[in-house]
Amino acid sequence: MSKTIEVENLVKVYRNGVRAVDGLSFSVDKGEIFGFLGPNGAGKSTTIKILIGLVNPTEGRLLVNGIDITKHTTEIKRATGYASQETAIDDRLTAWENITLQGHYYHLNGREIRTRSEEILRMFDLYERRNDLAETFSGGMLKRLDIAEALIHRPQILFLDEPTLGLDVQTRQVIWTYIERLREEHGMTIFVTTHYMEEADTLCDRVTIIDRGTIKAIDRPEALKAQLGGDVITVSFSANSEPTSVLERIRQIEQVLSIEKNGNGAHRIMVSEEGEKIVPQLFALCEKEGITIDAVSLKKASLDDVYLHYTGHAMRNAEESKETHFKARMMRGKARRK
Amino acid sequence: MTLLTDTWFIAKRELIKFLRTKVRVVVTLVQPILWLGLMGNMMGKVFDNPYVAQAMGVSNYMAFMTPGIIIMTVLFGGVFGGISIVWDRRVGYLEKLLAAPIHRGAIPFGKTLAVMIQNGIQVLAIVGIAAAFGVHFETGFAGILGLMIVAMFFGAILSSISLSLAASIKTMETLMAIVNFLTMPLMFTSTALFPSEAMPNWLAAIARINPVTYAVGPIRELVLHGWDWSKILPGLAVIVGLAILFMLISQLIFQRATTD
Ligand SMILES: Nc1ncnc2c1ncn2[C@@H]1O[C@H](COP(=O)(O)OP(=O)(O)OP(=O)(O)O)[C@@H](O)[C@H]1O
Ligand SMILES: [Mg+2]
Repeated sequence: MSKTIEVENLVKVYRNGVRAVDGLSFSVDKGEIFGFLGPNGAGKSTTIKILIGLVNPTEGRLLVNGIDITKHTTEIKRATGYASQETAIDDRLTAWENITLQGHYYHLNGREIRTRSEEILRMFDLYERRNDLAETFSGGMLKRLDIAEALIHRPQILFLDEPTLGLDVQTRQVIWTYIERLREEHGMTIFVTTHYMEEADTLCDRVTIIDRGTIKAIDRPEALKAQLGGDVITVSFSANSEPTSVLERIRQIEQVLSIEKNGNGAHRIMVSEEGEKIVPQLFALCEKEGITIDAVSLKKASLDDVYLHYTGHAMRNAEESKETHFKARMMRGKARRK
Repeated sequence: MTLLTDTWFIAKRELIKFLRTKVRVVVTLVQPILWLGLMGNMMGKVFDNPYVAQAMGVSNYMAFMTPGIIIMTVLFGGVFGGISIVWDRRVGYLEKLLAAPIHRGAIPFGKTLAVMIQNGIQVLAIVGIAAAFGVHFETGFAGILGLMIVAMFFGAILSSISLSLAASIKTMETLMAIVNFLTMPLMFTSTALFPSEAMPNWLAAIARINPVTYAVGPIRELVLHGWDWSKILPGLAVIVGLAILFMLISQLIFQRATTD
């Protein structure tokens, strides 16, 4: 599979001495949805800004579409779309004005801009509201408009910095549907950061967990969860039954890692993945052997566990960027006014 | 080539917003009415005394003051160049512009072009209002065009200065305060509102080197007297020269401020 992004030993030290990115190496395949996870101040936004040519790297080799981005910035800018964490919409302009200006910033001609703007605004369910000032939009609409704008020049790679920040569950799902559609229909490569683990889990092909500018883990969500011990099936057999033979058979299933008896007599079965498929097998075996089950529970490993495992529990207030604070304040203000 | 079109689209955004902000448009119109109506009438009485008028070299204070009001309006409008950059940085719009393949130089140029066009609109409004107050423009339509050009280049200086300051001043309130702090004394130590004959010697000396005086000079010449190039050209040359200089400075400072 061809690599769309290749990063080797990327380092960024800001002028104030902050080492925001400290030796990242990773690659992203064409058409992949690549998740970037990490605590506040981990260096996610900085990495994106470097990859789109907005911030100069201090060190490192960076290829986007096989092109060295430090040498061909304009070419990279045309190939990439970017929706920033800040949702940069001019709220004194209408949705239409916002998106058409964006088209001009990418040097499209007037006709292209009109047809594409209409098409994209329709896709994002904003066409009916195109002539309203963006200041009348809800947070979710602004975010949708911002992502819509990033598509006007049909980028091959889309960078979304926290596209679902502060949105309700419905809007988050809608946005993820758009993202999946872009990948399906246009083969777009999507690089996305988020603080919502379950989103990353279901939608990203691979995720990277970074902290303090370094990569802690990078793999498919399933694989990461499996490494941490995966799912756990807890089963209690009836007091008078003898489950030894059943347990022996269970142990032979490939995904089963270990079985142990816990304090209250129940058995904990560790499964690397897809525990929900082991449970029916367990039932079938017990039925054949005539063993009754009193209770069974399945705890799926979550990406939250993986995330906390790699990043620890301490909060990262100190490193939270000022802009984030400002934006959060503005968003809260907006919510209050509604 | 793209520098020009990019500059235009940066400016266009500001202009859409300027025309949409009714308050700013209304203030633009009301301010000259107030100045001409109040100041012009009040001071006009003083200058009605033929001795005073002769001593000061001013026969019609209203006509004398119109160029001053033009320059003052332009002087106070320049700050919006810097303010728009501060705002764009705050809401992340500047980043969006920088992420696009536009010519980097187009951003400060576009902001300044927007200020210049706003200045042009404002000058036209003032000219119309002054004409309604009975001010006669000696050089007619061509002269009005000429004074618009001087005013717009003067506006480019102010806009570029505020853009340059905006690179290091990150809040709008501070920027406003600093720009006002600079423009107020510039205004009152120039010949914008009073002829140098009416000033004490020390003030007249300052007024002679004040760039505002250079901008007022050609405009006043066009309004009051006629096409005397020997009086128009020096002021025009200084203003255009300073405009180019400050635009380049704002360009350099912007490039430095936006490379991380
Ligand atoms: N322009 C800048 N100048 C100096 N330091 C910066 C700048 N931008 C970010 N930083 C610092 O770099 C570090 C990484 O910031 P970055 O914004 O990349 O984090 P992030 O992972 O996106 O965090 P968040 O989840 O809060 O958005 C932080 O310590 C931040 O304070
Ligand atoms: Mg961030």
